[in-house]
Amino acid sequence: MASKQSALCQTFPCRENQIQQLWNLFGHVDEVFPPTVYIYGGPSTGKTAIVTKFLEILDIKHAKVNLIECYTAKILFESILDQLTGHELDLSTGAPYAKCDNFMDFIDHLQKVSEKFGLSRSVIIMDKAEELRNMESNLLPGFLRLQELTGVSVSVIFLSEILFEKYYFRLNIVEPIKIHFPQYNKDELLEIISLDFDLARELVANNFNQPIEFDRDFFRNYLNVFLSVFYRACRDLSELRHTSRNNFIKYCEPIARNEISMKNSMALWKNISPILKSSLDVLYLRVTTDDSKRPLENLAENIELPFYAKYLLIAAYLASYNSVKDDKRLFMKYHGKKTKSQHDIKRKSKVSEKLNTQMGPGIFTLDRLLAIFYSILQDKVGFNNHLLVQVSSLVELQLLSLASDNTTLDGRKYKCNVNFYCIQSLSKMVGFNIRKYLSDFSHM
Amino acid sequence: MVENNTVSVSKGVFVFKNNFKHTSMLSHGNTSKMFSKNLWHKEFNLLWNSISEDIEVLTCNMFSLMTKDLLSYIRQAYYNSSVCEIPTAALLTGINMPDHDKQFKNLKRQIINDVSPHVALLNSQDCSSVKSLMDNMVYQFLNNSGWDKSSNGNFGNNFKKSQLNLSLLERWYENLYYTKNKSAQPINKNLLIVVLPNFESFNIGVLQKFILIASSYLQKLPFLFVFGIATSISTLYTAFPYHVSSKISIKVFKNESSIHLLKKILENVFLNSFCAFQLGGKIFNLFTDIFLFYDYSVNNFIQNIKYTMMEHFCYGNAMALCSLDRNDVKNTLNIFKSEDFENVRHLKSFRQLVESESYQNQINLLTNDVYLKGVIFENIVILQKYIRRLHIFLRCLYILVSDLPGHPLGKHLYELYATCVSEDVTKTPQYQECLRLLSFQSQNNLCVKLNEIVAILDESINKNSKRTQMKEFYSKIKDYIILLNDLNDAEMDVVDESISPNNSFTNCTDRKSLKESLLLRTKSRMEPLTKYAKLRKDILETISSNFEIHLVQPSSLCFYEIFFFDDISIQNKIIGIHRTAIHTALNDPQVYLQCNCCKLNNSHSIKPKMPDICITYKLHLECGKMINMYDWLQAFLCIIDSSFNAENNTNSKINPQYQARFTRAVAELEHLGFIKSSKRKADHVSRLTWGG
Repeated sequence: MASKQSALCQTFPCRENQIQQLWNLFGHVDEVFPPTVYIYGGPSTGKTAIVTKFLEILDIKHAKVNLIECYTAKILFESILDQLTGHELDLSTGAPYAKCDNFMDFIDHLQKVSEKFGLSRSVIIMDKAEELRNMESNLLPGFLRLQELTGVSVSVIFLSEILFEKYYFRLNIVEPIKIHFPQYNKDELLEIISLDFDLARELVANNFNQPIEFDRDFFRNYLNVFLSVFYRACRDLSELRHTSRNNFIKYCEPIARNEISMKNSMALWKNISPILKSSLDVLYLRVTTDDSKRPLENLAENIELPFYAKYLLIAAYLASYNSVKDDKRLFMKYHGKKTKSQHDIKRKSKVSEKLNTQMGPGIFTLDRLLAIFYSILQDKVGFNNHLLVQVSSLVELQLLSLASDNTTLDGRKYKCNVNFYCIQSLSKMVGFNIRKYLSDFSHM
Repeated sequence: MVENNTVSVSKGVFVFKNNFKHTSMLSHGNTSKMFSKNLWHKEFNLLWNSISEDIEVLTCNMFSLMTKDLLSYIRQAYYNSSVCEIPTAALLTGINMPDHDKQFKNLKRQIINDVSPHVALLNSQDCSSVKSLMDNMVYQFLNNSGWDKSSNGNFGNNFKKSQLNLSLLERWYENLYYTKNKSAQPINKNLLIVVLPNFESFNIGVLQKFILIASSYLQKLPFLFVFGIATSISTLYTAFPYHVSSKISIKVFKNESSIHLLKKILENVFLNSFCAFQLGGKIFNLFTDIFLFYDYSVNNFIQNIKYTMMEHFCYGNAMALCSLDRNDVKNTLNIFKSEDFENVRHLKSFRQLVESESYQNQINLLTNDVYLKGVIFENIVILQKYIRRLHIFLRCLYILVSDLPGHPLGKHLYELYATCVSEDVTKTPQYQECLRLLSFQSQNNLCVKLNEIVAILDESINKNSKRTQMKEFYSKIKDYIILLNDLNDAEMDVVDESISPNNSFTNCTDRKSLKESLLLRTKSRMEPLTKYAKLRKDILETISSNFEIHLVQPSSLCFYEIFFFDDISIQNKIIGIHRTAIHTALNDPQVYLQCNCCKLNNSHSIKPKMPDICITYKLHLECGKMINMYDWLQAFLCIIDSSFNAENNTNSKINPQYQARFTRAVAELEHLGFIKSSKRKADHVSRLTWGG
């Protein structure tokens, strides 16, 4: 038994404590399983992998469900039963082992299954348990007391990223046994990623023509360099592993070109550090295009809109970021002389936080949008369907968003979703001076 | 069915399946049959089929480059075994939504043919929740199992909706690809490809969940996503938080812009000498304006042209002559009946033809069908030649002027076409400007352009034909190229030495004569006509004279209407103006109903025979913001009931039939959004429109 445990510890380094705890709970043949165990910890700290592997090694009958997948409780119940009974879906009917519409059915069927198959010493793993908070309210307390309710000694393991205290708004909760999987620290990360050594070798062999032989120390050196850049920005193991693989090839490139010797770690560091810095910018984005250097380029340069759609978007921006009372002054030719009031003088000395353009988009009606559109457009355009279709296609593209519900045919309200820089380059494209029509800038 | 079957102890309703069949297909056949005997319809069908075929081929080729990249990406996505993120292709498609449908259907077909039979195309309107998205996707996978449909059958139909979930899909996939021995590597595993054509309109939350679910199944089910993104790739980043975006690895593919596509289609399908149907300048400008200003949709553009073609051919059998094949025209003319000739006589340009002829010929033209036949044939042949040359010379002109500074004649070939068919291009000031600019061209540039022109002429000239103007022009240009090549830069010395400089001012005795002689000298210095400059002048003159002959406006030719369509009045049918249409329908129903009873003398009068809703609408136009229902009813009764007298009928009973009609009309107006019931004032409704 102890050999199994140490094997597990070897595949999952830096988790000895947690594995020991699990072992204490489930590892002894002559002891009863605890009714519920709650395992929590940040993303990619090895919760799911360790628990599944652990149960496999000990040959414990288990059903594993990912709660994200269970958009209805029915799927949850039925897939648990299917897995516990080893039922295979029949492709001609697609019927599950038993139909469960609610928790009562589930308990009933579980008891029946227990009589038939013997469910003592079996485990139900519920991954992404935080989803339980959004599901039916009886699920969490029900599963916490599953042994009590069914009289079958089935134990439930919850895997979650959040603290158990976050579930306290539900009543009737039994405290489960908790195991915490803490975040890995830098040394542990180094330890784990260096398990990739064989894979890195394979990667290098695939990418370069001449084989580069390197040892573990070389790889660890690289990881040291790599982590020194990335450890501050990201602690997520899977993301770090992904990025480290991508950059390792670049790290080896000068060696493959025979420019830098493998021993010269200083020169290698100098070579890789700008590359690492730039890939720090695209961390989490997972782009594999060549132009990954500037992933968030300007929307206006990329999007191709018809001429009037551009003007409609500009008009929408103006409607969103000007207040209604300024409309007359901005868009009418003869709006009469304006007397300066105390208010205006104050406005000139407005702090930037109070600028309309900084305040977020306001809501406007379709009528106002069209009025502004016709006022800023030089040439006369008939009001026709093509124009109206443009409005809804802008909504479809999420450049505008609908601020009123869909039911009102008349007087729909919209909001403009694009930012000032985008609109500015858009108006430059059509030769329109946007600043002149924004109340924040018009007095400048 | 035997009567006894329905004898039952309890009362019940029995269903009998009758032999009713949907007749929609049949009736559809009837409408197309209605015209199929007409000559013009045959010609239209012939032409449209060839055009749509061309467009199909062209669009396929246009997208093929991107599709090829995409397909190779899909093929390689699971090449190395350790895939831990879902491979995702992001297609930046551009905003022209109407075109996307076709493109994605094409893509789906190609994926099924080339890569994998398992493709699910999800529309955003079917995927408002995770459940409906799953149902939809699983159903599509189970039912479209591609080529081996016969062996598996459509077993997806047997499932209830609630059973369509991923575990079923997993089971089905295992059944397909894993042999009994589960440990063995499956042979030729096909990917499950999920296509989302319009990423923006999906609910982000649903998509996030979907991606998480799919990624949890990734080891068993090889998913691959194709997202169609209309705006830009940054929408993808803003849509997903990290824990979702780490589950997919994105590769970006870019579509060609729709302007480019339109240009290609125009140049290869419509603006060449193989398409008989020609768009007139005004119509053409209208369509390009709609495209550039409103929708950027190539599909709409083509539909517009199709509509124009239908309108064009609807004119009558005269349009059956719209063909570029001489024999076709001859055959058509041979089966023409006298009413068909009459149809031709109604053409506008026929009148010009008649007026220009002598008296005897005029009578012949108007009465003698056989004579007319000959004339028509002659003129059609002239037109056919004209169209052929128009396009050839248009391209030549385009080569010359396309890169001139300032683009006096436009940047694109289609702009040039629009000018050429609406006026004599050689007489426009822009053309003169172009010639002026061309006269500054360098030798190299000119040489390159001439070579390009020769290439165009090369393609289009029939080598075996006898000497024509075209051939002459062709050989002339060729000669010029040889001359240009012979010119060496060394020979750039002054050729024109006729005004030999008087190397002394001896004969200048006074100031005035000296001044004159100096002026003369500067002038002669100003234009040092090199050999090249002289040659250039000759070349430009030759080319320009040819343009003047061939690039004339089509309306100067007889029967040009048969090939050119330039009726701008269809604008109203192409561009819908809904508000005007509704107003006209309610204000003056005769426009649409085409009946005599509703004819109005002036637009404000109301006739009792008009539909009720029109009467109530016209009455409500006279009211202000709030409308009193009782007054409205009185006014309504005044109009429809001739016996009704408002003054002394205040307490008499209103005919319930009339009142019901009124109530119904008001309800209809409310439904159309003209009025709204108001809580502010009792028995009043508020009006939602203004103006009369």
